Amino acid sequence: MNKEQVKHIKKFENIIHGIDLVFFLAYVGLFAYLFGFIQVPNMPPEVETIYEYVIFGMNINTPILNTWMSYLAMFIIVTFPLLFINFRKTQNREYYEYNRWVAGNLFAGGIISLLVLNPISAVLKIYLSRRILLESEKFGFKKAAVLLGHGFVNMFKKKPVDPDEAEGELKEVIRKQTMKTFIRVFFSYFFLSVVALLIFIPFYWMILTALKTYYESNLTNTPRFFIALSEMQWMNFKYVVTEIDFGIYIKNTLTVGLWATAGTLVTTVLAAFAFARLEFKGRDAIFSVLLMTMMIPGELYILTNYLTVSQAGIGWIGGPTGTNQYYLAMIVPFLTSVFYIFFLRQTFKQIPDTLYKAAKVDGSSDLKYLARVMIPIAGPTIFTITILNVIGSWNAFIWPRLITSVGDVNEGRGYWLISAALRDADFTTGGTNPRVMFNLQIAASAIVTIPLIIVFLLLRKYIMSGVGRSGTKG
Amino acid sequence: MKTTLKSWVWSVRNFFSGIKSKLHLKVNLPTGLKAWVYLAPALILLAIFTFYPILNAFRLVIYQGYQLIRDTDGRLVESITGYTVFGNFIRVLSADNFILPSSHTNSSVLLNTLAIVFISVPISIISSLFVAATLNSIKPLKSFFQTIYFLPYITNTLAIGLVFAYMFKSGESGIVNQFFMIFGIDPVSWIERGATYWRAMTVLIAFGVWDGMAFKIMVFMSGMQGIDQQYYQAAAIDATPKRRIFTRITVPMISPMIFYIVVTSIIGAFKTYSSVVAIFGDSATPDGANFNLKTIVFHIYDYIYSGENISLAAAGSLFLFAIILMLTLLQMYIGKKRVHY
Repeated sequence: MNKEQVKHIKKFENIIHGIDLVFFLAYVGLFAYLFGFIQVPNMPPEVETIYEYVIFGMNINTPILNTWMSYLAMFIIVTFPLLFINFRKTQNREYYEYNRWVAGNLFAGGIISLLVLNPISAVLKIYLSRRILLESEKFGFKKAAVLLGHGFVNMFKKKPVDPDEAEGELKEVIRKQTMKTFIRVFFSYFFLSVVALLIFIPFYWMILTALKTYYESNLTNTPRFFIALSEMQWMNFKYVVTEIDFGIYIKNTLTVGLWATAGTLVTTVLAAFAFARLEFKGRDAIFSVLLMTMMIPGELYILTNYLTVSQAGIGWIGGPTGTNQYYLAMIVPFLTSVFYIFFLRQTFKQIPDTLYKAAKVDGSSDLKYLARVMIPIAGPTIFTITILNVIGSWNAFIWPRLITSVGDVNEGRGYWLISAALRDADFTTGGTNPRVMFNLQIAASAIVTIPLIIVFLLLRKYIMSGVGRSGTKG
Repeated sequence: MKTTLKSWVWSVRNFFSGIKSKLHLKVNLPTGLKAWVYLAPALILLAIFTFYPILNAFRLVIYQGYQLIRDTDGRLVESITGYTVFGNFIRVLSADNFILPSSHTNSSVLLNTLAIVFISVPISIISSLFVAATLNSIKPLKSFFQTIYFLPYITNTLAIGLVFAYMFKSGESGIVNQFFMIFGIDPVSWIERGATYWRAMTVLIAFGVWDGMAFKIMVFMSGMQGIDQQYYQAAAIDATPKRRIFTRITVPMISPMIFYIVVTSIIGAFKTYSSVVAIFGDSATPDGANFNLKTIVFHIYDYIYSGENISLAAAGSLFLFAIILMLTLLQMYIGKKRVHY
């Protein structure tokens, strides 16, 4: 294949990605649209209520709506990572890498597109896979199928045995060793799979329970491990977001997280620059004092910081209702981080000093040098810090919970972050003999967990590289 | 279109820099002063929320009867009844259920913490070591398994803690009880009314192991990837059995990592708090039980939340700091001696 052909094919591929994206957005939009229709019953429902809806001029009831939403959720789960991976692959593939495997992948992608009710992409992908096959390997689908068949047959065919007697003993030894290796590899994978299963079960059980009814999650003695698509109660999520106010808590968490992250980036980048590049008296002394504070347990800070932000100090919290600044109290103490200063300084130090001197000769100011040279070069590290800080804020529990528990509890409730809400929100049936509605509580857990998993799967490289240097959690 | 936009941006920029030079806004600070300007935002915040708290803890710990009361103007002022050097430490250490179980409660903070240190930490470290070694020996699906094993690290402790509590539900509806019923074991109560101490502790330990393995596996993996392949090649020539390769090459070579993990896990065990709150709630006690599962840090937070014994909270956190300091110094000392050869 020559570069000209590949240019055409890449263009074609990008068109397909565009169509895939449109369909993906359509799935999400449709899911959100249907989500808006769901009627929330009074909890706990005395009997399982089946509502009648009119959507797109059709009369449907709750099980049908559940089925539709389950299918859409599956489509979203399948298409999003594929779209992401395929797009990255297209951008990174060189012209000599186009071969039968690429064509095969595209063909499989076409089948998947067909399954997620996207015939346009399916037809285009299959057409493109044929074109790649023709241009790179000079044959079409027919011969490809024949080759595939041969490969399949060869896998099961016994290799011809060499009848040489003298080598018999050696062969026996080799056979035994191969057997041993095979058994070892088999047990390795078996062991790893069992551990992976143990790690994964809580997530599976969480998602399954989040989609069950109140009766099944609380009262039944025979929990099922699979439920039908029509039984998936998407209503649970809506109930948690609207009736138990998780919409508000998520908004609070994002507000606090984004402000704290933006502030942390500014303060740490400036400080790390000063520590890495600028010469001043006592630089190393201050830096080692900062490093030493990383060892001190958080409880020691929380104690005094709590006094500082309350009426005994600045007075952001603990005052009469309406005068409290919960957001400030949650954000300001976390506007900087010794660890990130340390982490960034290491990265900045690796940038050659000659660049700095060259910029100085050209008359560029320090700030300009920082913005134009250092930040772009240290981009991946800064990105890692951003993600880690956002994840940290999303999971923050102890400090926000302490802050919002001071003073008027009903006012503090409006400023809860999600972790505190998971513990303290009222998931019970109410009345004289309240019972926890586990399906709703676990649905709230799923709402908190799933965004984290998606972010992790997309940005795995950055997160793991950052965590590798950060030490323990919390 | 693109060039028009670019020239427009440049003209705007030139306009502003023209104003700047006309107003003589360009100040040239000496480097030393400039550095302090760059450091100022971070240092001011650290001074208020990091350095001051450390000093303040030492101040609070010498007060007796420290309280915040409102004076006639309605302002909060500090009031103390006296000074003491070790009094607050002694009060923390001799508090009910800190070291020894008292008459009405069959558990103590220190015993709970030690149970986690001596059971949860070894289990998670040894299993992570095995997983990391096995994972390091395979090629296909390696990154897939790595991704799965890392999932617990980025999850929210509260969310997964609630899921664990639900999985260990009593009766036949809990999935763990269902699993044991396959082997003919009757369902028991793990964390609700009727739970025994060790059953409740098992749930906490299971969560600790599940949650803690991710980071340990990652550290061990990176350690194992750094081992020189020559050692393994030499062992392969001598036809050394795999078990011996593991105990004689892999483990000694990554012993600094193992030691680092041991120390950080012990510190982590002292700090167990969120998972206890997630599984057992604020009382850390199953319904009607005469024990609790509070750890040292949980004890400190009890003081902070009660709002009255601020000096005791300071004493408790300084006590914790002393333990952590000792462990860290030990790690630095042994780490310097290069434990592996």
